[in-house]
Amino acid sequence: MKGVLFLAFIALLAGLSIFSVIELHSLYFAMHSFIGELGVVMLLIFTLLITLRYLGLMLFSMLNNIRRTARRHKPNRDYPKVSIIVPAYNEDVVIQKSLISIMEQTYPRLEIIVVDDGSADATFVKAKQLEYDNGVSSLKVLRKPNGGKAKALNYGMEHSSGELIMVVDADSKLSDDAIERMVPYFDDIRVAAVAGSVYVSNRINTLTRLQALEYIEGLNMARNGQAFFKLVSIIPGPIGVFRKTALQEVGGYDSDTFAEDADLTLKLIAAGYRIDFEPEAFAYTEAPDSLLDLLKQRYRWTRGILQSLAKHKSMMLHVMRRPKISLVLWYMFFESILWPFMDVLGALFFIYVSYTSGTSAFIFYWWLLFTLLDLAGALYCVLTTRESLSLTWYAIFYRLYFISVINVSKIFATIEEWMNLKMDWGKLNRKGNL
Amino acid sequence: MDLIAFMSMVILIITILTLSFGVVAYFLYKLREKRAKKQQQVTYEELREESGDDFIFFEK
Repeated sequence: MKGVLFLAFIALLAGLSIFSVIELHSLYFAMHSFIGELGVVMLLIFTLLITLRYLGLMLFSMLNNIRRTARRHKPNRDYPKVSIIVPAYNEDVVIQKSLISIMEQTYPRLEIIVVDDGSADATFVKAKQLEYDNGVSSLKVLRKPNGGKAKALNYGMEHSSGELIMVVDADSKLSDDAIERMVPYFDDIRVAAVAGSVYVSNRINTLTRLQALEYIEGLNMARNGQAFFKLVSIIPGPIGVFRKTALQEVGGYDSDTFAEDADLTLKLIAAGYRIDFEPEAFAYTEAPDSLLDLLKQRYRWTRGILQSLAKHKSMMLHVMRRPKISLVLWYMFFESILWPFMDVLGALFFIYVSYTSGTSAFIFYWWLLFTLLDLAGALYCVLTTRESLSLTWYAIFYRLYFISVINVSKIFATIEEWMNLKMDWGKLNRKGNL
Repeated sequence: MDLIAFMSMVILIITILTLSFGVVAYFLYKLREKRAKKQQQVTYEELREESGDDFIFFEK
């Protein structure tokens, strides 16, 4: 019944989308200048790309789900030792909740290593209270002078003895079988890393609920779609498992970008490894609950991804020689630069059209098309995960308000990165809503 | 006024307001960060100014 309803809704959305595209197409004939015609052509190309992006990711995500459920992993006869590295800097509000969720994992052979990166609060003391060693698994706390997340992760890796390295942010909480679900992927020796799903834990206001929708639709669904090709573009900070030998081969984490997770994933793909995704391994993370904190986070993400892109840009043109890394880099370029710019330029174009020739219905069709795509994506994600159906309706506000504000901020961050302006990490203050 | 024209007007107004709000929010964020940084990097002279020119002794 759920499936039939979903198909009927998708058919309705598809019909409305086609209608919107036809209406947008007729905008071309309403233009009387070359600039206007060029604007419409660019807009239509962009709309086509976005539509293909949504439908493609949904399709591949669906195919990946089918393939994943059809595959049966062999039960682990010998559990490879997993070293979990938790880098922490001023995380005393959340560190214990995070560590307890790791200690409660169903996976037996764990080595938990907390790296206190020179915290000025009680992070070290609070983590130290949980230290243990029972011969099979252990938790130890290391301390080093502040040097940034990448150095803290490398430091933890140097002190680890597991074959697999799991990285968990200190502000994240894991589902109890997360590691057990992720480890079997490493039976395939070509797999270097596996990402898990990230969910928002603090759904306390509209902003955090919109982020909850963004995480399941924009991040988790995208990763599930990318996993069909074993090319997940970013292993998220809150939950990722790596093969230690692969990490050592590519030199571990680098400190020259503010998105060390994106940079490392790109290095692994460039080295020819596969990157997979386990949607049923969850990490719950605390999302920024105020707009300015959210902009602070997105500013760092945008500039960090742009730095990673710039670092690996030479491989973008190796389409024939290194198609996988080239494809991933072009995808990231589209998502992080082209999309925000085209979205805002499109809105400005419609404002211009409305100003010069009266309020036009085209702006409504433009919004309708993208909102329908968001609704379809949200509905798909809600039905394929354990999310609440009520989250779907936030898709309307997502397009109308949330994404435009984020895109404006991304554009400014891109310009600042292009101008090479100085930046710092932009640490968020935790509220403890894990 | 038909529904499409009404909705177009609503979307247009919201688009203009949201884009303007996005720009304002970004500069508010930058301003907040600038202030926070300034508070962190307070100089000895500034501290003296705040304390009414009394000498300040730091304890280790």
